[in-house]
Amino acid sequence: MNYLLTTLTKKQEVDSMIRDTIDKVLVLCFGRASDSIFLQLDEILYKSVREVSKFATVALVDIDSDDVQVYVKYFDITLIPSTVFFFNAHHMKMDCGSADHTKWVGTFLRKQDFLDVVEAIYRGAMKGKLIVTCPLPPDRIPKFHLLYEDV
Amino acid sequence: MPIQNPNPNKKKKKHSNQDDDEDDTVQGKQRTQFEFCKACRLNHNQGRRHIYFPNHKKALSSFLSRFQSKLKNDVAFYLKKPMPLRPEHAALNRLWCVFCDFDILESDSSFACSGNAIAHLASAEHLKGVKSFLWKYGGGMDRMDSFRISESDFTKWEKKCKLLKSEAAGGGSHGSLIGPLNDIHNESKSEYVNSFDKNKLDCLTSDVKCSNSVVPLQDHTIERSQISHSKICTVGPQILHAGTGVGLGARTPNGLPGFFGNQHYTHSVPKEGPAYSCPNDGKQVYSYEGIAIGDRHSQGTSSEESRLQTQENGGGNVHSGAPPPWFSAAEKIQLDNKLNQGLGDLVSSLGEQMKTSKLNPKRVGAAWAERRKIELELEKRGELVRHDFGADWLPNFGRVWQSGSRKDSRKEFLGENKTWRKVDSQIEKPSQFQPYISKRMRTDNTAE
Repeated sequence: MNYLLTTLTKKQEVDSMIRDTIDKVLVLCFGRASDSIFLQLDEILYKSVREVSKFATVALVDIDSDDVQVYVKYFDITLIPSTVFFFNAHHMKMDCGSADHTKWVGTFLRKQDFLDVVEAIYRGAMKGKLIVTCPLPPDRIPKFHLLYEDV
Repeated sequence: MPIQNPNPNKKKKKHSNQDDDEDDTVQGKQRTQFEFCKACRLNHNQGRRHIYFPNHKKALSSFLSRFQSKLKNDVAFYLKKPMPLRPEHAALNRLWCVFCDFDILESDSSFACSGNAIAHLASAEHLKGVKSFLWKYGGGMDRMDSFRISESDFTKWEKKCKLLKSEAAGGGSHGSLIGPLNDIHNESKSEYVNSFDKNKLDCLTSDVKCSNSVVPLQDHTIERSQISHSKICTVGPQILHAGTGVGLGARTPNGLPGFFGNQHYTHSVPKEGPAYSCPNDGKQVYSYEGIAIGDRHSQGTSSEESRLQTQENGGGNVHSGAPPPWFSAAEKIQLDNKLNQGLGDLVSSLGEQMKTSKLNPKRVGAAWAERRKIELELEKRGELVRHDFGADWLPNFGRVWQSGSRKDSRKEFLGENKTWRKVDSQIEKPSQFQPYISKRMRTDNTAE
């Protein structure tokens, strides 16, 4: 259980994280520590944090904390783990072939996949694009169904 | 008649190349009405789409920058220093206004060089023309002011012209102009002598400018220059040490012949500047003569300024890297300190982040990032009190089923949030519990 990266539990912490990451991609992963998939994601992130440290920052957010529920609702997080990307306090969308472009649902199959995704986000953001396409082939993207539509 | 496609799903209509107005149906993506784009100089039938094409943008920017450079070089210069117009030069001084599509001639402008052009550039019709041009060719409406002359500038210019006119009228011919010139000469010189160390350059320049009758500064300059020259040795290269970058009138290293050949002085003047670099003693007198006679046809102000400056600045000059004469040593130290304290700190502390100047300004959230960096810097220094954004701050987020902009989605969310909170609070109200009384108990009570 020591593998977990910096886990944020309060809205204020999340806010300061978002606001203080300048010119770097901010990777916020929402999840529960008891979830095995989340732990797998955390493992991959932990291995890659240092490698992307020059252009990205990674943080985990505990979904179960009350303070953060605002964000859980705002970001429409229903499936965990969900990863949201920010750049300069602006939300970056990624088109992975699924219906939900606003976040990445699930874990990454390989560390390299995660690096590719973050790199794609960074490149798009530097060019001024708010939405980027996923560099991974569809078989490497975890599939899920959107639970709610037209709510 | 155009061929109507039987299949309405096809986006492109196949027409023969005609400029039929009847073909302006909205179905097809291409409007068939041809128009001429002035910037790209081509006929196109792409309608309003054309202005967003990259080729057009390039062409437009070069087009506008060419016109702007013409404005800067010629018109802006004469806006500051109006000069009487010689009829022989009038024919050469015409300006084609690209926005209004007409040639501005100087034929009957009694005022000064490019008087008509300045009047046109300040006028309301020109403003209209600029607006419509920029709208039509997508130049960016914020650049309007760089292509016209504001009213305040125009009135200033008019005043200067009037002064010039009155001076000319009062003086009469060239010869008599020397009279008032004497005064200027002496005035300024005496002023100058009194304020040798101090920064009176502004006074001098304004003095000289106000008079405006500085065109025919001939004899006195020669005399005085020769006198001054004998006193001060290292004057030569300092001719260039004019405060204004305007230059010293048309001057080529070859001296006079080069100048006289050059009638069109609108171009000659601004380009002079640093070209002059003759050695010290040999060509001294020659160069001064050049100045004197050159002044006939261009401003004498600059030469006078330069001459005065040369007198003042015994040592170094621009070329030797010495500080300008209006900086005494003490002032220089003060200024350096100020520079260091001010933004210098900000810049040096951001030294590690000096890359910021090279980061793409179009990247996502660039403006926000710049502001935030400055905020953080100030917070570090302790100048800015950190104001908490409060519990209600939400980042810019595009929601899953959003239909409008991100701001809209944020507002939507906040609205939803409020309704939730209201619902929560309402639920909490009926929290008073009362002990359960069974019906039998109640009936017993009432019966009793």
